[in-house]
Amino acid sequence: MTISKQQNGKALTLALEGRLDTVTAPELEKELRASTAAIDTLTLDFAKLDYISSAGLRVLLSAHKEMSAKGGLKIQHVNEIVQEVFEVTGFGDILTIE
Amino acid sequence: MIKIEHLKKEYPNVTPLKDVSVEIRDGDVISVIGPSGTGKSTLLRCINLLEKPTEGHIWIDDVEITDRKCNINKIRQKMGMVFQSFNLFGHLTVIENIMLSPMDLKGVSRQEAYDRGMELLRMVGLAEKALNYPDELSGGQKQRIAIARTLAMDPDIILLDEPTSALDPTMVGEVQAVIRELAKTGKTMMIVTHEMNFARAISTRVFFMDEGGIYEDGTPEQIFEHPQRENTRRFIRRLKVLELSIESRDYDFLGMAGQISAYCNKNQITPRMANRIQLVFEEAMQNLLPALKEPRVQAVIEYAEQSESAEWTLRYGGERLDVTASSDELSLSVLRGMTQEIAYAWEDGAELPNALHLKIRNA
Repeated sequence: MTISKQQNGKALTLALEGRLDTVTAPELEKELRASTAAIDTLTLDFAKLDYISSAGLRVLLSAHKEMSAKGGLKIQHVNEIVQEVFEVTGFGDILTIE
Repeated sequence: MIKIEHLKKEYPNVTPLKDVSVEIRDGDVISVIGPSGTGKSTLLRCINLLEKPTEGHIWIDDVEITDRKCNINKIRQKMGMVFQSFNLFGHLTVIENIMLSPMDLKGVSRQEAYDRGMELLRMVGLAEKALNYPDELSGGQKQRIAIARTLAMDPDIILLDEPTSALDPTMVGEVQAVIRELAKTGKTMMIVTHEMNFARAISTRVFFMDEGGIYEDGTPEQIFEHPQRENTRRFIRRLKVLELSIESRDYDFLGMAGQISAYCNKNQITPRMANRIQLVFEEAMQNLLPALKEPRVQAVIEYAEQSESAEWTLRYGGERLDVTASSDELSLSVLRGMTQEIAYAWEDGAELPNALHLKIRNA
């Protein structure tokens, strides 16, 4: 998985590419830990994300909790394969997906 | 009766038949099925000595044909062979093709050979083509002539080596219809075929060939409905199989994900289904591995093309351990969402007694 960062003042966008799974989820977790304290809004761009497993969902959930006290977490450009995982786990209702 | 004992056929770089022993009773109509390269045609060709067996013995009735002193030409008169590629003589008319062997080998008179030949041509529906040359006929017609020619020798045993596989699909039916009639005459028949419905309809017995021999021998009902052995089941259901072996907690997850992805691509599994297959593997392993004392798991994914259904089977050792009892709710919800059925079984006495079947959702 590759993560591309784009920061605009207190708004951070991370574009993920590839697979968010058992092996790669810790990378995203580390990236978020390093940056969430200094930002208000977080956007995750999933346009190039092919795959997500529960390990990835767990990272999203903790980011969602952390950001909900601030400007929130938005997820963009979710493809139908990832969307299916959101739906069966109820994440579609919890997260802000556009 | 044909009796085969410890038949082996070896070529310089491959051994299609390792050790075949079987008895074929008079009147058996046997379909020989199985994957390519498993010795189906070789078995047939050994029975009439078109191929010389490397080892072993074959008896036709009470004559050992693998005995050097045996007069094979005499034995071959009892056996007719129908080939994939017809093998008719191009310079002879249809009726001459049929009359040739009875006159040359059996000393039948010209008139008698002609009368019988015409009778056989009527039987295969081609009497009006008697004076045509083979080149003037379609593939299906040529093969029906070839069958008539075989019958002209009035053989006790008829061997058919993929008789319809060289034909245009529109002509398969007419040849199968002739063979179907033949199967009712009480002659002993062996037919190598890839047409499963046909095999099932005409035969009284089926040989499934694999692993260098007759892997399973049974009635059509057993072989097609209740195959007893693993490879038969996979072949009959046209299952595409990938086996993965996990030996450590630090197994090569990425490598295996790559293998699963290649397997899905190769078998043209839809991206949605492929994703579910990947997810079910990851989530199941995620739940299993931390709970296992000895991290050894055999994972097998099977995909049935016809029904577009896929199923993981994970086998592992240790105590009884059902993944659905895991406390990782998030992972379980992914697992449940991607499957239509999760079944856990304990197989007493097996090396890896825990068996988890995860049927992938396909809607």
